[in-house]
Amino acid sequence: MRRFALPAVAVVAAAVLVTFPIWSSPWESSRYATGILRDMLILGILALSLDLLVGSAGMPSLGHAAYFGAGAYAAAIAGQRLGSDDLLLGLGAAILVSAFLALVIGAVAVRAGGIFFLMLTLAFAQMVFAIAFQAADITGGSNGFSGVRRPMLFGLDFNGPDALFHLVAVVFLLVLLLAWRLRSSAYGRALIGLRENERRMRALGYDTTRLKLSAFVLAGAIAGVGGALQAYSIRFVSTNDVGVARSVEAFVSVLIGGASTLVGPVVGAIVVLFIERVMPSYIAFAETVLGLVFIVFVLAARQGIVGLVRASYARVRA
Amino acid sequence: MTPETAVVQALNGISFGALLFILAAGLSLVFGMMDVVNLAHGAFYMLGAYIALTIVQRTGQFWLALVLAPLLIGALGLVIEPLLLRRLRGRHLDQVLLTIGVSLVIADLIGLTWGREIRSIPFPAGLDHAITIVGGDYPVYRLFVIAFGAALAVVLAVVHRRTRVGALIRAGVDDAPMLAALGVDIDRLFAITFAVGAALAGLAGVIAAPVFGIYPGMDVDYLIYSLVVVVVGGLGTLSGAVAGSALIGPVDTFGKVLFPQFALALIFAVMALVLLMRPTGLLGRIRIAR
Repeated sequence: MRRFALPAVAVVAAAVLVTFPIWSSPWESSRYATGILRDMLILGILALSLDLLVGSAGMPSLGHAAYFGAGAYAAAIAGQRLGSDDLLLGLGAAILVSAFLALVIGAVAVRAGGIFFLMLTLAFAQMVFAIAFQAADITGGSNGFSGVRRPMLFGLDFNGPDALFHLVAVVFLLVLLLAWRLRSSAYGRALIGLRENERRMRALGYDTTRLKLSAFVLAGAIAGVGGALQAYSIRFVSTNDVGVARSVEAFVSVLIGGASTLVGPVVGAIVVLFIERVMPSYIAFAETVLGLVFIVFVLAARQGIVGLVRASYARVRA
Repeated sequence: MTPETAVVQALNGISFGALLFILAAGLSLVFGMMDVVNLAHGAFYMLGAYIALTIVQRTGQFWLALVLAPLLIGALGLVIEPLLLRRLRGRHLDQVLLTIGVSLVIADLIGLTWGREIRSIPFPAGLDHAITIVGGDYPVYRLFVIAFGAALAVVLAVVHRRTRVGALIRAGVDDAPMLAALGVDIDRLFAITFAVGAALAGLAGVIAAPVFGIYPGMDVDYLIYSLVVVVVGGLGTLSGAVAGSALIGPVDTFGKVLFPQFALALIFAVMALVLLMRPTGLLGRIRIAR
């Protein structure tokens, strides 16, 4: 029985998630909740991809929005320039551009470790922001890029908030599945080896620089997918999507939720967007709350929410 | 570019570099001593500018702001170090992460207190005129920024090389645990170092306010500038901060005139180039990249 329990629960949970707009429709604020949940899933994708670096490989990137934003711009611009609504084309463009950008930046950044890696990723992300800001004929600059075309796939039209939610939820689940598969793969374990003891990994014959760069590119590509979904969702891309604030959101999500705990970054994304999007209706200083929450977690609960829950669960069972 | 504009832009570049030096000196000092890159440095800088705004609005005294704002921000640093950073001593990366939270809180509280509009303060009395340089008017205040930055560099260098505090700093940068083992109160030294770093950021904020503006987001902009400066110049040394700001100030300024399309990205290209050729930065002691 137990062998089937987990997959069964996962399938049911996935179905419940994807159909959220349908079963929540009697609810008065269903539309609002769908929008917030969609954005949580998109930030969740970004945070999951960042956790590959921060959690698994121990590479604290503070510039992950660069790849998210690159994906958003790529999907939006490819759709407009080629006059195509094809979802695969948009996602393909997003993956290609964000992966390439991650390759270029990563080639310099992965040569630095720890705090220096963090500084360089932050600085180079600001370079991407500067380019997005200044290349106004392509990106719309400070006005942003509006009128992003809603995608289609095999005749399925994702025009409309509910259809788009289904799309975001399905892609989110695929990314979660990928993250889960990676954890038990040889590649995922090699990344953890990097975090635990890079020198030993080198001694074992791993080309650690290449390994880090590949993780950086993979994480960048997944972030790009998240960015494309964001562009489709709000039909608008702005320089905020490549900005430091978005990078910090993702980073804070990973740490609050729990780095290297699979679902932690998603939990963190939910908490972060709850604080940033729901709380401002009630208090003026939501961003201060977010900062304080983050400080408390760094000081006292570095393992994050999921880490805390697992630890207390283990205590109860023991 | 005519020779006249070249001279004017050179002065602009040097004055911007002087400002970046004041800012980066604090960041570099804290890193050298504590191995912590203070990501709240930009927030301290921003706070300095906004405190100056209030003092100038209330009293009209820029010079009072120049003294008071750094003292207040230094006091804030004196609270933050023992209260937060000390609890994570030895966990450098977590200390850096902590400063992200501190910067979120400070930036938000600034927005709540002062609003989220672009603000400005006038040039201080006595420095509010222009003088004639190569046939054009040039604001005296920018020359003051250059002189101030240069004077501060001299003062910091003298303190660093000739005083007891400087000796402690040099020893702490070299080997802080050894210094503690020799009986120096390292807790106090770290708290003071962090406070001085914060005060330097606040000082830079006051100096910058009349020319470089007061606006939401300035914390991030100038944090990035200071990071680029210390990476290019080399972390943890005073000469590195001088070299980095002397390069980045003019490069950024001339970039904006010569290649307005790429200007904002130019300094990062310079940073990447320097790192590829000299992994320690120009005059640093620590390898940033392999």
